[in-house]
Order: sequence, then C-alpha cells, then structure tokens
Amino acid sequence: MRKPVARPTQQKQAETPVELRAPRAFTPPKDTGPIETFTETEFDVPIANPPRRKRHWLLRILAATFGILVSLALGLAAEALIRDLFDRYEWLGWAGLAVLGVFVLAVIVFIGREVRAVARLRKLDALRTRADKILESDKGSDGKHLVAELTSLYRQRADLARPRTQLEKDMRGLFDGADMINTAETNLMAPLDAKARALTSAAARRVAIVTAISPRALVDIAFVAYESFKLARAVAELYGVRPGLFGSWRLTGEILGHLAVTGGVALGDSVVQQLLGHGLAAKVSARLGEGLVNGLMTVRVGIAAMRVTRPLPFKALKQPLVMDFMADLAKIGTNETK
Amino acid sequence: MARSPTNLVDEAGIALGNLTDAASGMFTPTLRLGVTGLSRAGKTIFITALIHNLLTQARMPAFAPMAEGRLIGAQLAEHPDKAIPRFAYEQHLEALTGSEPFWPESTRRISQIRLSLKYQSADWLGGMFGPSQLNLDIVDYPGEWLLDLPLLSLSFREWSDQALARAERPGAQNEAKPFLDALAKIDTSAEAREPDAETLASAFTLYLRDCRQDGKALSTLPPGRFLLPGDMEGSPALTFAPLHAPEGQVRKQSLYAMLERRFEAYKDVVVRPFFRDHFARLDRQIVLVDTLRALNAGSEAVADLETALTDILACFRAGSPNPIIRLVAKRIDRILFAATKADHLHHSSHDRLETILNRLLANAARRARFAGAETRSVALASIRATSEDVIEENGEELNTIIGTPQKGERLGDQTYDGKTEIALFPGDLPQDPDDAFGDTPINLNFLRFLPPQQYAKSEDGAIILPHIRLGRALDFLLGDRLK
Repeated sequence: MRKPVARPTQQKQAETPVELRAPRAFTPPKDTGPIETFTETEFDVPIANPPRRKRHWLLRILAATFGILVSLALGLAAEALIRDLFDRYEWLGWAGLAVLGVFVLAVIVFIGREVRAVARLRKLDALRTRADKILESDKGSDGKHLVAELTSLYRQRADLARPRTQLEKDMRGLFDGADMINTAETNLMAPLDAKARALTSAAARRVAIVTAISPRALVDIAFVAYESFKLARAVAELYGVRPGLFGSWRLTGEILGHLAVTGGVALGDSVVQQLLGHGLAAKVSARLGEGLVNGLMTVRVGIAAMRVTRPLPFKALKQPLVMDFMADLAKIGTNETK
Repeated sequence: MARSPTNLVDEAGIALGNLTDAASGMFTPTLRLGVTGLSRAGKTIFITALIHNLLTQARMPAFAPMAEGRLIGAQLAEHPDKAIPRFAYEQHLEALTGSEPFWPESTRRISQIRLSLKYQSADWLGGMFGPSQLNLDIVDYPGEWLLDLPLLSLSFREWSDQALARAERPGAQNEAKPFLDALAKIDTSAEAREPDAETLASAFTLYLRDCRQDGKALSTLPPGRFLLPGDMEGSPALTFAPLHAPEGQVRKQSLYAMLERRFEAYKDVVVRPFFRDHFARLDRQIVLVDTLRALNAGSEAVADLETALTDILACFRAGSPNPIIRLVAKRIDRILFAATKADHLHHSSHDRLETILNRLLANAARRARFAGAETRSVALASIRATSEDVIEENGEELNTIIGTPQKGERLGDQTYDGKTEIALFPGDLPQDPDDAFGDTPINLNFLRFLPPQQYAKSEDGAIILPHIRLGRALDFLLGDRLK
C-alpha cells in the first residue's frame, strides 16, 4: 500500500494544446478482490432504552459535599458522646462503645442488603433486556447462559421445583436461543404469572371495597397508595427480589414511569374505565363507580409491577390486560368463599 | 417464456377439488402438507417422525400448541382417497426401532396418510365451541418423480437440448459415453424402429443411474421414472431419450417424431396427473434438502442441486390469496426450507449449514416471497442419530459427533463395518456459502450414521424419537392453524 503523497505542480506552460486521451483498458496490477459492500448483518440493531436521567454536575457536588458534612457531623457527635460517657464513668463509656459498634454493624448489614436488593432489581432488568436480544438473534449459547442464570435465580424456590426439572429436561433437546427463552417462559413464568394475577386481583378488590365504603376521600387515596405499594413489593418478591427500602423506592419510580408511558397506550382499557367510572357503575352508585375505578387503577399498578420485575419479556405467554381482571372485580359483594 | 405446468382442464379440476375441500372443510378443515425433497432427502423419515411425535404427544417445547398444552391429541384417520395405499407408518417405525434398527428403504411408490389433530383453540371465538379438529394430509412418494415437474413446461426439443448439454459436460464424460456413442450410431430422421428406441432409452437410463451415485451425487436427472419406473417399466411412454434436433422437416414416421410423441405421452400420462393430484392443492410445504451429500461430492453437485431445486420449486404455487379466492385457487402460504441430517454435524455448524441452504435456495425463496408466501430455513434432523462431544487433537479442540457409521462408509482409507462407534469431525463448513459453489475443493467428509441403537421411553411407555428442531419446523408449518 502506498501512502497518499502531495507535491506542488510545475508551473503550467502556456499555450500547450491540451491532448484528449482515448479510452483504454488495462489488466489490473494486482488482484483487487470483491468490491466492498455494506451488508445488512453489519448493523447491530440497538434495543431502545429510555435514557437514564443524569444529574447536573453542580447538583452532584452539592449533594456529595452535603453528604460528607453530615457524615462528619454524625461522626463527631458520636465521638463526643462516647468521650462524654467515658468522662462520667468508664464502664458507661465501654457500654456506649459496644452499643455503637452493634449499631454500626447493623447499619452496614442494612446497607449491604439494600445494595443487594437494588442489584437484583437491576439484574432482572438486565435479564429482560438480554432475553429480548436473544429472541432477536436466536443464539443458542447465549440462551443457555441466560436460562442457567434464571434457574439459579429461582434455585431456592420450593414452589418452582417441578417447573425447574421440566425446564431442565426440555432444554436438552433445544438448540436455538429463542426456543430456549420461550420454553423458560412457559415453564418458569407461567406459575409466577398466575400468582401475580391473583395478588393483583385481590388487592384491586380490597381497594374497590374500601373506596366504596370509606367516609372520606382522603382515606381511600391513602388506602390506594398503601395497597399499591404493598402490591408492587409482593409482585417483585414473587419474581425474585425482596426490594428493601431503597429498592422499593426505585421500584415505585419505575412503576410510576411505566404507568406514565403506558397510560396513553392502553386505549381500549381506558375506555372501559371511563365507561365504568363515570357511566354505568356511577349510575348505580357513585361510590361504587369510584371504587371500581380505584380497583382498576390498582390492577394497572399490578400489571406495571409485573412488567418491571419479570425477568423475561412477555413473548410466549400473553401479558394480562386490565380487561382480564374485570370479571374478578365484578365479584365484589358476592361471597367469595362459595 | 415458461409455459404453465397445467392445462385448462386441469385447472378446472383443481378448482373443483378446492371447492369440494372448502365445503367439506367447513367444520373440520384440512391442511395439505407438501413434503418435498429429492430422493434420499429424508421425506419418509420426516413423515414418520412427525406422525410419531404427534401421536405419542412427545414433548416438543418449541411446538407452541404442545408446549402450551393446547394440543389434546392426534389420531390416524382414514384417508378419503381410497385408491392410494396408506403410508406404512407402522412398518417404518418398526424398522427404526426394531432390535437392529435401520433406515427404511427408499420409497418406491406413492402413499398417503391423514392425521386428525384435536386442539383447544386459544382465541375466544374458537374456544367457545370446545375442542377443534384439523386434518393433516401428507403424501409420501419417490423423490425421483419430483424431477419430472419441470418437464411439464418444456417441449421435447427444449428438454433434449438441455439433457444433451448436460451429458456433454466434461465432468459427465465417463457416465455419458455409452449413451452418446449409441446416439451417434443411430439416424434419428430414419424410419422409426422399436429396437433403436429401446437401445437409446436403456443407455440413457444407465447414464442417469450412474450420475446419481455418491461420487457424483448429481440431482438434475429427469425424467424421474427412468430411475424408478414403478409399474410402468418397459411401457412406450418410458421408452424415449433426448435426441439432437434434425435439420429441416421432421417426417412423421421418423424416430425423432416417435420419441417426441412418447415424451408428450409421458408428460400427459405420468407427470401431469402426479402434479395435479398431489401438488397443485397444497397449503403448506416443507422442502427437505440433503445439503451434506451434495457438499460431500463437491461444488458441481451443489450447483446441480441448486438448479434441480429451483426448477422444481418453480412449479409450486406460492402466495397468500384472500380467503374468497382461496375457495377455488389454493396457494402455499408458508414454505419451510430444511437442511436435513443436521445431526451429522456438530450443532455449532448449524448456522453455516443454514447459510449454505439459504444460498442454495435463494432464487426459489425470493420467488416465493415475492408471491406472498412466508419462508424460513432451518437445519433439521427428524431423527437424531448422533450425540455430541469435544475431543482434543494436537492441542486443538474439535467439536465432534458420536455415532455408528453405516456398513461400508469410508473415511480416508478406513472402511467401517457398521458396528464401531466413532467420534467424527467432518471438517469445517465454509464460512462464506459461495465457497461451496466455487472451484476450490472443500475438505469435507460426512458419513452416514445408523439410526439410534436404543431409545428412551416416555412415562407411558412410548418410544421417544430424538430430533433436532422438529418442533420448530412443526410450529412454523402447523402452529398458526392450531391457534
């Protein structure tokens, strides 16, 4: 290969007639190979992810310095406290020190658990993204890895013992990533989905009843918030994360984000809600109408929680719709133990 | 311009048949699955495995109706057409699972079978009336006969030109020499004499047979009945051969004119009914291709396979018509291209095998997609005869398959006796599929393996036939009709 070289041209000689060159053909000096083309496989189709919110750098400095100051103050206070205790009586100082040690240990364990919970929540997210990719690429080795991770995630779950063995058996005859993911979904996710649905519809029924009989609007708002929070945690726990304090915070954020995004999408469902809330049910009783609307709201929280915490995307199995819970909600008032 | 393979009378018959189907299929629809493949592509094995897996409800995770538990059961049903023998499923299964398993012999006659599938529909309308039923009709036939389909749109002269051009190729010299010599001795414009016709026909048949041997493994060898005549052996319609077109006017009594008449008769008596009765009214099609055998024999065989398949597949009617036109004009709306015997390779090579298959069938697939059909390709083993392992050789890790080669299979100077189990590394498939068509020889050697010597059994005692991607194939071919 020769490098490109540039040299100044010689001054043009004036008045030389320009000679036009005739077309000629030569054998190429060397084998040039095929002409490079742009093939489709060169694209790695990125899967769209919502961009993470980044804080402004100034804000981050603010938060960081504030955190350091508070920690310093706390440390100073603790140190002063222990010193004071030692000044009073020596044994009191030792006791205080011991209590402080236990406290610090507890804080560390607590933080460790929180970190783990958030990490697991992230892991579920990552698993889902990877499963999406594998469904696209159909790579067998990737599928095998993912299914192995999934089974290890549920290794300690007694209720999934049978699906796990079945999945293991099924995996032996499979070679393609997409088939593996689908099989894992039909085996492992189906029982969990059923339980998540039951949790959701129970929560929705409770909300509907409480709203229908509560004396104050504030009470049912509080109850909806409480039930939704509880439901989200229960669903997350079902799919493999015990969210903890910060995990719950994160989870709530994700669910709210999800609801905001899908709010406009589920048009058919919203129409049902409108009809029920302001029309039909309201004609029977205004309180009952409100109760149903709140119940449906809870259902949507449950579905959003499923979507956010389920480690596999809905592919082989259908994602539940708000409509599917209508029948359950209609049962309020009848005796369910029958 | 290519002529249509059917005439007006055929079209009327086909339309009428479709209408009858539509009427009788109001309550129990019928799905005609066309299993297409040249001889030794694995049609019989595919059909046997399909029937067995559906009948015994073997677990196929990739077959959605079964994985979702919606398939209630399957049963062999009586076929409405009483004139054609039933597919000998039991005998084939016996051959595969007996005390000394062997692959069933190559198919010598046509047979068909109907399978009734009962399933629970998942959508609310279909689910309202309880379980639904679907009849699955499958035809098995000698793959050689498929080679005849392209003849329907050729005249005697066109066919002769093509066939002689193929015979005169330098690669075919050894096989074609006796026939070309015989042809040179005979004056085609002279008075027709039966012995001349017979000499030519038998020399031509011999040439076709030789070309089919493993060393050559050529595929484009019509007419197919010459290779496998069935009960038509020796009849005038099977006694002809390609001739050089004579100069000037052809006399009616000449040999050329006589053979031309016989060629036309062959088309009318043999090929057209075969096509009309079994291939003109298909709903789904699976094209089985023994890519490995062609790769074994070299690039000429691969290119020849491509020509043969492209020509054959041009005869089928692909497309997705609207449901009203469908009443009279059926179209194949899904075609699955399958590279069979994928168990003769390690699974890490399946991607490359599929790539080669796609390259091989690119023209056919493009045409089908243009017509509106959905196509997909898959590396398939209807019955898996090998397991996999990794061995270390000179510090290199080789992905091998373990199985027992058939008696007489050879690798290098070793000939196998049909009893020793070996771990085989058959060589790397080319990464660029075009290399399989090029002049550079590829060092590959796929051996034919015996069927599995023992089978696992399911909980209810049924034999489990191991397979590769059969579930996926069935899901593509039947899944949407069992929704």
